[in-house]
Amino acid sequence: MIWLHPTVLFALVAVAAPILIHILVHRRAERFPFPTLRFVKPTRLSSIRRHVLDDVPLVAVRAAILAAAAGAFAGPLMVTSARRQAWDRRVVRAVVSEGVEQAGASDATRRFQSGGDLADAVRRAVAWLDTAPPARRELVIVSPLAIGSITAADIASVPDDVGIRFERSTALPSARTMPFGRILTKNGPVDREVTLAGSQTSVSTAAAPAEPNVWPIEVFASPEDRGAVDAARSAVLTERVWAPPADRLVRLFVAPRNVAGPDAQPVHMPWIADAIARIAHDADLQTAAARLPRGVTGASFTGPAWQTIAAAADGRPVAVAAAAGDRLLIASAAPASDVVTPLLMRSIVNALVLAPEVRNAEVVPIADAVLTAWSRPSSAPAAPRIGSVDEDDRRWLWAIAVLLLAVETWIRRASRQPRAGEQEETTRVA
Amino acid sequence: MTLEQVLTGIGDLELVARIVVEGLVSGLHRSPFHGYSAEFNQYRHYRPGDDLKYVDWKLVARTDRVYTKQFRETTNMAASVVLDTSASMDFPRRAGPAFSDSPVSKFRYSVVVAAALAHVISGQGDAVGLLGGDRFIPPRVGRQHLRRLVAALSTLEAGGAWDGAAVVRRAAERLTRRGLLAVLSDFYDDEERTIAELRRAARMGHEVVLFHVLSPDELELPYGRDLELTDLETGARLAVNAAAAQREYKESVATFLEHVRGLSVAEGFQYSLVVTNTPPDRALRNFLLARQG
Repeated sequence: MIWLHPTVLFALVAVAAPILIHILVHRRAERFPFPTLRFVKPTRLSSIRRHVLDDVPLVAVRAAILAAAAGAFAGPLMVTSARRQAWDRRVVRAVVSEGVEQAGASDATRRFQSGGDLADAVRRAVAWLDTAPPARRELVIVSPLAIGSITAADIASVPDDVGIRFERSTALPSARTMPFGRILTKNGPVDREVTLAGSQTSVSTAAAPAEPNVWPIEVFASPEDRGAVDAARSAVLTERVWAPPADRLVRLFVAPRNVAGPDAQPVHMPWIADAIARIAHDADLQTAAARLPRGVTGASFTGPAWQTIAAAADGRPVAVAAAAGDRLLIASAAPASDVVTPLLMRSIVNALVLAPEVRNAEVVPIADAVLTAWSRPSSAPAAPRIGSVDEDDRRWLWAIAVLLLAVETWIRRASRQPRAGEQEETTRVA
Repeated sequence: MTLEQVLTGIGDLELVARIVVEGLVSGLHRSPFHGYSAEFNQYRHYRPGDDLKYVDWKLVARTDRVYTKQFRETTNMAASVVLDTSASMDFPRRAGPAFSDSPVSKFRYSVVVAAALAHVISGQGDAVGLLGGDRFIPPRVGRQHLRRLVAALSTLEAGGAWDGAAVVRRAAERLTRRGLLAVLSDFYDDEERTIAELRRAARMGHEVVLFHVLSPDELELPYGRDLELTDLETGARLAVNAAAAQREYKESVATFLEHVRGLSVAEGFQYSLVVTNTPPDRALRNFLLARQG
C-alpha cells in the first residue's frame, strides 16, 4: 500500500485524543471521612475496572474511527495485481512532432509541437508523462530526424520505463541552402549563404546592399591616436566580423588620458550586459591586456558604474565597460597603437551579434542503427507518482469509518441499557 | 418537631434532654432503676398492675395466695455516664458529604441520650455523674448538679483517640459505692481492653450498661460508588468501591457487633445497640423496658 498524501498521516496523532479524553475524565475517588477502616477490605475502584473492562473496546473503536479518517485523507492506494494489470493494459502516449500541439487530444495521447527544437519538445513531453495516470508510457518522436535534431543526451533524460519510438515524418532534402548571416569586411558588408549537400558544406558570399552606420563602434581618441585607431579598425574589417544589428551601438574611448570620463551609467539593457560578459571572456583580449604593465589609474573610469573587462599586469583595469543610455560604453587605457585596441574592437563587434542558427539546415538523417539503439518498448508501470493516480482506495476507509461509527453507537447504547435496567430494578425494590 | 430537628436544631441540650425524657416517661409506668440498698419491708396482696417480678412465688406455692414484696429504699443509687469522645464518634460529619439518612453525628446523639439518661436518673432522686473526655463530674443528686452536668455535656467535643479501658477504670474507681456505669461508645478503640475493664468494674459490684452507638451508614456502607475513605482517628486512607466492598463490610461489622454483644452478655452487662436513625426517646424506652423485663 502506498499513501498519496503521506503527510496527512501525521493526523494519526489524533488517535490519542479519545485516550487522553478518557484519562482526563477519569475522576479521582471522592475523599470521605469514615469512623474506622478496620472492616473495609481494599477493592479495585469501579472506575478503573470500567476503564479496563468496558471502556477499552469503546476507546479502541473511537481511535480506529480517527485512524480510518486520517488514513482516508492520506489517500491510500492498494497496489494489487489486478490494479497493476489494469495499469499495464493502459498506454499513455506523448507524440512529439512538427504538427500543431493538441493540449486536449485525449486523456491517453497528447501531441507536442517541436517548433524546430525537438529536444525541448521531448523534455515537455516527458514532463507531461510524469503527471499521467499509472500506465505504460510511450514517447513517439515524429520528425525527419536530421543529425543534431536530437542527441543521445536528450534520449538519456527520458525515464527508463518510458518507451521510445521514432517515426520519420518526411524525407530530408538532398541539399539545402540557407542564409548564414552578414559579415563586415574591408570592402563593405557581405551576406553569406551556406549550402549543405549530403556531407558537404559550402559557404557563398554576395555583396550586401550598402547601409549607413554599418560599423557599430564610435571611437573617441586624441587626434594623434586617430591613425592608430583607423589602422586597428581596418585590421578588424580585414579579418571580417559579424555584422551586428543596427540598433546596437558602442562608444569606445581609446587612451583617454586627458579626456574627462563620459557619463557612465549602470547596465540595465540585456544585450549590453550580454556583450560585456562575452568581451570579458575573450581569451585573446585578456592575454593581450595582461601584457600591459599598468592599468587605469585615474578616477574617471573607476566609478561604480564601470565594469572591468580586461586587466593589466598590475591588476588594474585596462578596459572598462558601462552603459550610456541605450549604448554600450567602453574605455580602454591601452595605447591606440597597442594590439589590445584591434583585439578589443573585434571582440566588441563579435559580442554584439548572435551567430546564425543553421542547425535546422542539416540534410543528413540520424542513422537507422542509432535510432534502433535509442528505441525501446515501454515497461510495466512502476509505483505511481503522488498526484498522478486517477483513483485511490479512500472510499473503503470512509466506509470502515462509517461502520465503526455504527459500532461505537451500538457499544454506547449497549453499555447504557444495563444501567437503565439496574435503575428500574432498584426502583421496583425500593 | 422531628427527631432531626430536635437533635440538630435546638442548641439547648437541657431542653433537648427534657423533650426526649418527656417522650420517654410517658411510655413507662414505674421507676426503671432500683436502689441497691433497698430493704425488704413487707408482703401485700397482689393487685393488677403490680410487677410480677416482685411476686414471691415460693409463698404462692405454699399458700396459694399471691403476694408481692415491698421494699424500703434506704440509699440512692450512684450512676456514672461514660461518654466516648473519640473522633470516630464524630460521624457523619455535618460539614462532610451527606450520604446518610441521619445527619446527626454519633457524638451528638450520644450527648442527647446521656443528658436524657441523666435526667431520668436524677429525676428519681439518684446521683448521676459524667466522665467524658477530660471532664469528670462526680455523681451527685439535685437539680443544680443536673444542670451542671448537662452544661458540661454540651461543651464536649469529639476528637482524637479514646482510651476506653482507662476511662472506664477511672469511672469505676470514682464510684465510691456500688453503682451503675452507663457507657456510650462505638467500641472501636480496643474493645477487648475496654470490656476487660468493664468486667473488672462489674466485679467491683457495679452494674454495667452499654450503649453501642452506631450510625446506619456504618452498618450498611450504602454509598455504592468509589470513595477514598479516611479513618477519622488514624487518618489512614483507603480507596474502595463501596458497592464491591459492601458485602464483606457488612459481614465484618455483624461479626464485630456479635462479638461485643456476646462478651457483654457473657459478663452480665446490659447491652443495647443504638442506631442513630432511631429516635433517642425510643432507644431509651426500649432500653429501660428491657431493664424492667
